[in-house]
Amino acid sequence: MPITTTRRRLLAGSAATLALPAFARAQGAVKPRLTAISQWSAGSDGAAITALGKKFEEKGGVWQHSPVPGFTTEMMNKLRAQIIAGDPPACSQLKGPEIAAWSKIAPTVDLDSIVAAAGYEKVVAPDLAKLHKPEGKWIALPLQIYSTNMLFLSKRAMDKAKADKIPVTWADFNDLAEKMKAGGVTFPIANGGTRADDGQKFEASLAGISPAAYRAAIMNLDTKALEGPEIKAAFAQMRKITNWMDPNVGAQPYATNLKRFVDGDMGMMIMGGWAQGVLRNAGFKFEDFVIAPGPSDNGKPVFLLNADAFIFWQRKEPDLQAGQALMAQLVMDPAIQTMYSQITGSIPVRTDVDLSGEGWSDGQRRTAAALKDAVANNQAVLSLAHNMAQQNGLTAAMIDVFTEYAKNKTITPDQAVTRLAEAVEGSR
Amino acid sequence: MTEIVSTATQAGRPAISGVVGRLPEYLMIWVPLLLSAAHLVSFSLWTIWISFSPSTLVPVTGWVGLRNYNAVLASRNWHIAFDNLLLFGSAFVLLSLITGLVLAILLDQRIRGENVLRTIFLYPLAVSFVVTGTVWSWLLNPGIGIQKLVHDLGWTSFRFDWLIDRDMAIWTIVIAAIWQSSGFAMALFLAGLRSVDADIIKAAQIDGAGPVRIYRRVILPTLWPITITVVVVQLQFAISAFDLVRALTNGGPGIATQLPALVVYDLMFQRGQLGRGAAAAVLMLLILLAVLLPYAAWRYVQRRRATHA
Repeated sequence: MPITTTRRRLLAGSAATLALPAFARAQGAVKPRLTAISQWSAGSDGAAITALGKKFEEKGGVWQHSPVPGFTTEMMNKLRAQIIAGDPPACSQLKGPEIAAWSKIAPTVDLDSIVAAAGYEKVVAPDLAKLHKPEGKWIALPLQIYSTNMLFLSKRAMDKAKADKIPVTWADFNDLAEKMKAGGVTFPIANGGTRADDGQKFEASLAGISPAAYRAAIMNLDTKALEGPEIKAAFAQMRKITNWMDPNVGAQPYATNLKRFVDGDMGMMIMGGWAQGVLRNAGFKFEDFVIAPGPSDNGKPVFLLNADAFIFWQRKEPDLQAGQALMAQLVMDPAIQTMYSQITGSIPVRTDVDLSGEGWSDGQRRTAAALKDAVANNQAVLSLAHNMAQQNGLTAAMIDVFTEYAKNKTITPDQAVTRLAEAVEGSR
Repeated sequence: MTEIVSTATQAGRPAISGVVGRLPEYLMIWVPLLLSAAHLVSFSLWTIWISFSPSTLVPVTGWVGLRNYNAVLASRNWHIAFDNLLLFGSAFVLLSLITGLVLAILLDQRIRGENVLRTIFLYPLAVSFVVTGTVWSWLLNPGIGIQKLVHDLGWTSFRFDWLIDRDMAIWTIVIAAIWQSSGFAMALFLAGLRSVDADIIKAAQIDGAGPVRIYRRVILPTLWPITITVVVVQLQFAISAFDLVRALTNGGPGIATQLPALVVYDLMFQRGQLGRGAAAAVLMLLILLAVLLPYAAWRYVQRRRATHA
């Protein structure tokens, strides 16, 4: 017991001695410091943010990241508690329309001058940029991009179907599924059954049928568009997808089926680009599967945007303010974005990053090309299933309809259209 | 030791008189009691207040009347949750009561190894609901659980896919909940069975009553108070059920197995609608009161009858 006390005192004493010069220095030139919270604690996400922290420290900053593992909601609970206590982190993970919603409950940092100095606005997809400047001023910065409607094809299932053409439209897709079924693929679709997964099936269907209808109905909640023929067609396409799935999928995540997918027992999967990293981590090779943009009836790629971002909360401390400026510069830096995306398997936010070099996969290159095309054709839209298109309350109400429709095959597309319109009306 | 203590208190009592002498006792009882009551009451009142405010992401002041309640009551989620609660609550309470009683009667037959069996039946109670839910979600999954086992044994037309059947999924929660808590009912019933006066049973035997008749006419009627206790305890579990459902079905397939507690959590923490979530929580409290108030009234009548007799 006495030994511990002495050791503890010694430690405390030496810590104080060490801290003194740092304190003295802070009085003079401010040493940038950043307090940050995010849910990224493990796997490639954890590795990526740790690497970002290292870069921050290399630039002479003090990196204080507190990860809140688990669901995004857990991270939000911590953020809420800190904001209510008047002690928000200098920067925190937050994305989509939640940036606008949360920026109303606590003051944020105006990043306009830093963004303008970096010439960043020109290289960000316009719809994405809008989310990060809700009142016209940049208060948050996107970090990396995924598309939620990439089409994954199993090579072995393609062999069984004797097909080698990547489907472009939904009609091609449906043909291929029938061929796979006839060729002995037990379940042509390999998706899972979580809420987000069911939401993705719908958003991929609608955006592929008509990006304009998706924008009007899902992003702008136009009442007429919500009851339009495209919505009904999307529900009909979604029913086909669910009929080709393993009925035992229940509420399992898509990753449960990856082995059956690679083995050719299941054929196709509509999933976000992150599935590439999961497939690779599970030990599968690039020869086992093909990644292509999701089906689009007009033949041009449709990109359902999902982007992680950091929002910056106002702090008075000079060292935190310096840290925020440094962090903003780092997040916009093409080298940093390259480093980050190469770890997580996403693509950079900047549309001017060259992906032809080493460290990128074909899937990432195709995704980046699809984004460029989609932006040029005004076919880059925001993902509903991954909380980019609407605030959480509305998103959840709409996904209720999709997930019920996916599991209850007695609901007709007509009924589903009515339910969707009612759900939107009920939570407006 | 005991003697010394008791003489000491008796000797000390006249010296420090009344309230002051009993101060430690008061402190021991009243401080924790008041603290927990204040905790419970203040947070309940706070929730009620939030339920009338326009709070969304964070609590805010303001008055929106019954708007949050109307929104919750009109939502499909709440309707499904309420219907499920009626079905789950009644099926679970009734079936766990019957299972517990049958187990208790069987154990009451002075069998060998009673202690071991009693431990086995009570054991699930020591397991957390999350564990129960996860284990049963594996067992009941048709692709990897019981159905697959039977298929692999050769009976390939066997079907047990309630977990993914939206009409039957609520029954999987009933099954898991009964597995978890019928041991609790059994323990209470067994204590009740054992406390029946042996002389009365002897008298019934002398009168020529068989075992079935003795149970029906003599023993079971004395179990009334225990039955009521079991029903009330199980009902309040059913109403506040959260972790079990969250781990077993997470409200699915689709939203077929929503329960009120899931709706509250979903509204508050996933949808960022604190006001509506609080309204749903207050509605849950009202459902609980609807169960507990009649019970309290019944206890009151019983007590009065006892004192009058």
